[in-house]
Amino acid sequence: MTILVLIEHYQGGVADGSLELLTLARTLGGPVTALVLAGSMADVATLAAGLDADTVLAVAAPAVARYASSVYLRSLNAAIAACDPELVLLSYSTAGIDLAAGASVATGREMVAYVTSLTRHGAGFAACSQVYGGKLLATSTLPAQGIAVVMPGAVKAGPRSTGDAPVQTLTVDLGPDGCIRHLETLVPESGGIDLTKAARIVCVGRALGNTDKLPMAEALAKLLGAEIAGSRPVIDAGWLPKPRQIGKSGTKVKPKLYLMAGVSGAPEHLEGMGESELIIALNSDPRAPIFGKAHYGAVCDMFEVMPTLIQKLS
Amino acid sequence: MQTMLLWLVTVGALAVFARRFWLRLAPLSRARAANRTDQPMERLTGALADIGLHRRLLRFTWSGVLHFMIFTSFLVLSTAILQAFGSGLFPGFSLAVIGGDTWIALLQDIFALLMLIGLAMAAWQRFVRKPARFVGSKTGDATLIYLLAGGIVLTMLLEFATAIVMSGAPHAWRPVSTVLSHLLIGTGMTAQSASTAHLVFFWLHILIILTFLIYIPGSKHRHMMLAAFNLYFRPLTPKGQLPPPPTKLAEADTGTVETYQDFTWKDLLDTLSCTECGRCQSVCPAYAAGAPLSPKSLIMDLRDGLLTHEGVIDGDAHLPIIGGAISQETLWSCTTCRACMEVCPVHIEHVPKIVQLRRTMVEDGALEPMLQTAMTNFQSQGNSFGKPAKQRARWTKDLSFKPKDARNEPVDILWFVGDFASFDTRAQELTRMVAELLHKAGVDFGILYDGERNSGNDVRRVGDEGLFELLAQQNIDTLAGCTFNRIMTTDPHSLNALKSEYPALGANYDVMHYAQLLLDLIKAGKLTPRTDAGLTVTYHDPCYLGRYNGGFDAPRDLMAALGHTLKEMPRNRENSFCCGAGGGRIWMDDVVFKERPSENRIKEALELGEITHFVVSCPKDVVMYTAAIQNLGVGDRLAVRDLAELVTLSVA
Amino acid sequence: MKIVVIQRLEPVLTEELELSDDGRDIDREWIGFALNQFDDQALEQAVLLKESNGATVTAIAIEDEGSDKMLKNALARGADAAFQIPLDADDVESRSSRALAPLYAAAIRTLAPDLVLVGILSNSDLYGELAPYLGAHTGWPQISAVTEVRLAAGKATVRQEYAGGRAARFEVDTPVIIGLQTAMQPPRYVAGSKLRDLLKVQIPELEVDGAPSADMSHGTTLALPDQSAGAVMFDGDADDIATSIHNLLKEKGFVQ
Repeated sequence: MTILVLIEHYQGGVADGSLELLTLARTLGGPVTALVLAGSMADVATLAAGLDADTVLAVAAPAVARYASSVYLRSLNAAIAACDPELVLLSYSTAGIDLAAGASVATGREMVAYVTSLTRHGAGFAACSQVYGGKLLATSTLPAQGIAVVMPGAVKAGPRSTGDAPVQTLTVDLGPDGCIRHLETLVPESGGIDLTKAARIVCVGRALGNTDKLPMAEALAKLLGAEIAGSRPVIDAGWLPKPRQIGKSGTKVKPKLYLMAGVSGAPEHLEGMGESELIIALNSDPRAPIFGKAHYGAVCDMFEVMPTLIQKLS
Repeated sequence: MQTMLLWLVTVGALAVFARRFWLRLAPLSRARAANRTDQPMERLTGALADIGLHRRLLRFTWSGVLHFMIFTSFLVLSTAILQAFGSGLFPGFSLAVIGGDTWIALLQDIFALLMLIGLAMAAWQRFVRKPARFVGSKTGDATLIYLLAGGIVLTMLLEFATAIVMSGAPHAWRPVSTVLSHLLIGTGMTAQSASTAHLVFFWLHILIILTFLIYIPGSKHRHMMLAAFNLYFRPLTPKGQLPPPPTKLAEADTGTVETYQDFTWKDLLDTLSCTECGRCQSVCPAYAAGAPLSPKSLIMDLRDGLLTHEGVIDGDAHLPIIGGAISQETLWSCTTCRACMEVCPVHIEHVPKIVQLRRTMVEDGALEPMLQTAMTNFQSQGNSFGKPAKQRARWTKDLSFKPKDARNEPVDILWFVGDFASFDTRAQELTRMVAELLHKAGVDFGILYDGERNSGNDVRRVGDEGLFELLAQQNIDTLAGCTFNRIMTTDPHSLNALKSEYPALGANYDVMHYAQLLLDLIKAGKLTPRTDAGLTVTYHDPCYLGRYNGGFDAPRDLMAALGHTLKEMPRNRENSFCCGAGGGRIWMDDVVFKERPSENRIKEALELGEITHFVVSCPKDVVMYTAAIQNLGVGDRLAVRDLAELVTLSVA
Repeated sequence: MKIVVIQRLEPVLTEELELSDDGRDIDREWIGFALNQFDDQALEQAVLLKESNGATVTAIAIEDEGSDKMLKNALARGADAAFQIPLDADDVESRSSRALAPLYAAAIRTLAPDLVLVGILSNSDLYGELAPYLGAHTGWPQISAVTEVRLAAGKATVRQEYAGGRAARFEVDTPVIIGLQTAMQPPRYVAGSKLRDLLKVQIPELEVDGAPSADMSHGTTLALPDQSAGAVMFDGDADDIATSIHNLLKEKGFVQ
């Protein structure tokens, strides 16, 4: 029995979330199989180098050179069938969303998503998940041979292995020729801002209400020498440009200071900033999930505290 | 020969005048209907009183007085015009038989002088005093009118004076002309030359009058002909009741205003009656705040747009109204505070036109994002906060008692709480205070709990008529299932809807503001305030309580009953200055305001000096002014107090 | 071209959540329900495609309190037809996407669209999201986290988003299931007049041949997150809080 981990990669680099899954699999104990899909065996070898797994299961075909849900799902299903793992680990990423439910139905396995912690429990596993935008925690029992979709950042990735795991090739019927055809890869336009390089960030959330209060937040950011950023609702509303979005569909940052005002702290946002060194959160809702992640917090009206803080800083 | 010539030019000028006038009035005949012919006596007496007493004009003293001088002089001098044309067209015609050479002559001389003084004052006003309200008005038009009117009077006087010179004796009834005749004689005029001059001045007089006549239809001085009609056809419905959208005439009719013909004829008459006096502009909070709205420019732009569309003036005849003649930002800038309508001397209805055009934008889905969020919240949850209806009465959780559910048991007073009072955390505290006060005073009251919906007052003013009807009908249906005597609310916007808007949907209630109820309770001895801790305060009249529903006195009497000294701000009662939240503005991005109206208002209060508290009687005002004081950083000098707080502190 | 768009109500999360007595569900007494924001985007995308490609849009929902109002809203927004899928509340243990997916899938088979649009996730998808389940139950290709959809004969072009703002464009043969993240334009406002006109319209039922599937909800308990392990909280009024933060920033060397 093994734990099967799907390895996601982009431009020759393995995704952080996938490395975290390997570490989680190790923590749970038992042999670990890494499923690597790539265009050629040479690419598989490059990606597999240093992966902390006991076995690398490789699907090498031009059709899986780049991610596409259909061929990845067929490969995942075939891999599950091939090694009958006691647990399948996927990252809560676009691929994780695309594949987990499909694999669950196709292979008749139970699944649980949004997992923040996973431990062995009897013959199966106990999973703790974030639901309702992180406002509630769900504890569920995942039977053996289940599938877990784990939040990025739920565990810290361990060191990479020094040796290379043996590679087994898996031949998969990748299905009708190209029902989903990759046309092009799109890289985000940074617009000149690279938040990943910012040491200090002031992030505003939905509670900002409108662009009217934005100058207040910008003034605060300026005084702190910080970049201004926003959560998804702020970007969706057009109050700040897309390159300033922090979170799952935006930028992932690890600044020294992350001061956030009016961000409730949905898991998708935490994913983008959870590793910041110092997190200070202002929110009017005492139950905002952000207070579970922040180092310092205050339940307050951000529009009352910000001007006072600006006064003190200037 | 002269008679023939005069007939020719007079008839010719009248024909040109009639054509020019008709070109501008013709669109009214193609516009939508408006029911403005009911209650003729009420219409007539009101119009005559407005004209005769110059009620609204005299609120601006200098302009009011000068207009009164010019207006009365014009009436008196029309006798001279009659005499001039009468005698010229019908040789032998004379007013002498009824006193044309005696008392009428005297009046003409005196009022000619008054007219000249009035015109001089007007010119002084426009070119020297230059009030800001004239910004955007057409100066050239006004100047030409001064010159023509002055020319008419001067040529008339010179005509009289040369006649006196010709007669060789002073005219006992024409003191001014007699003085002028002495001046003419002083310049060497003889009886002989006076005869020629008399003829010249007669013709000049006639020609300037006819020029004036021809000029008027294309000038703002059209109001000489139209203002009286505009006053007569003024709305007689409650101030707080917006006119409904146009009735759909056919299935394909969208019932919205897209072209000028989609307006009612009264809307178009409004635009033609505007005198560009700018009183509306001078009281408009959006204009004062630097938003792209001046009620005056709005009416002028609609007028010019209409005339361009008609091909009367040059320009793009196909320019749309919204986004063409009037920008979307302009239409969204209005707070619907009604200050413009209250001050307009010719009763132009600015707000209904703005709302009518907003309805078109709403129908097209052209809303700014913030407003769209609020409106979507109304649709899904019945309130702008997007909170579940179930949480509407959550503020009652911390009360010392549980208010009755008016849906389940009869009550004397049904309290319609309103959105801000129910959901805004700051306003909730005040709502609880009111509840405790009523409880303490033994008032038999109840609320609708989750059965209440937003009253729809401001939804209607945003321009979503359908949503307003949905919300209003839900409330009306809920209220129909309740037994109560009166409705009380702390929210002037709800008050306006319940009192003025719902009757149009067939629902009539006795509605009162909490200021009145608290005052009644104190008067009846149910609440006993201590009056020895009086403060010096100022008071802000909420638009929808004051200007819209005349609720000026109860809040003032209440403050007096609590022993507070009220120092009025310069802009009070009918002339109160809107906080900027009305008409849906509270849900919109206020970047259009360079200086927020609420901050402008707080500065006005600070200028009073010795006051410590800024008293309000509207939950939205609590929110707006608390924020304004914070933004201005003057929290150490001034604090916002709701009437409920004042009473609570006083009876504790 | 035929599009089916799925509309779901979900709890409004602006308020505090409370739990039912058995800890298996949220307390639904005080909570309000509103259209899932991603389904809102899906509806907008469907209507945009209707406008650009002349497709017909059918909105479907599982019958529930408020579902008829939600579907009327979809009609007002531009959907051509709407159906409620009846569900006996007593028969259903869980309303998770996993549990209800077979019902939606059956409805989709009945309606036979070229394109199914549904929001990428709902806030209680503990056992997986709806779009991939629909893919599994129908056997059609499925793509989630989509931010652009364009249609041509027999084909759709979509843009799928990944972490960090990366994206890829795919061409996919129809029929296809899309888990939509963002429509190509923000959801439009629908005037109340359109809703008012639909007030008396009855939303028809769509009988489908399918039953909810099992999920692990019987073995799941919900809890409010323990915040005590989280942030050090600053108390007091705005001034106190600002002072505390200022001191902290000084202490950590962020400001002088």
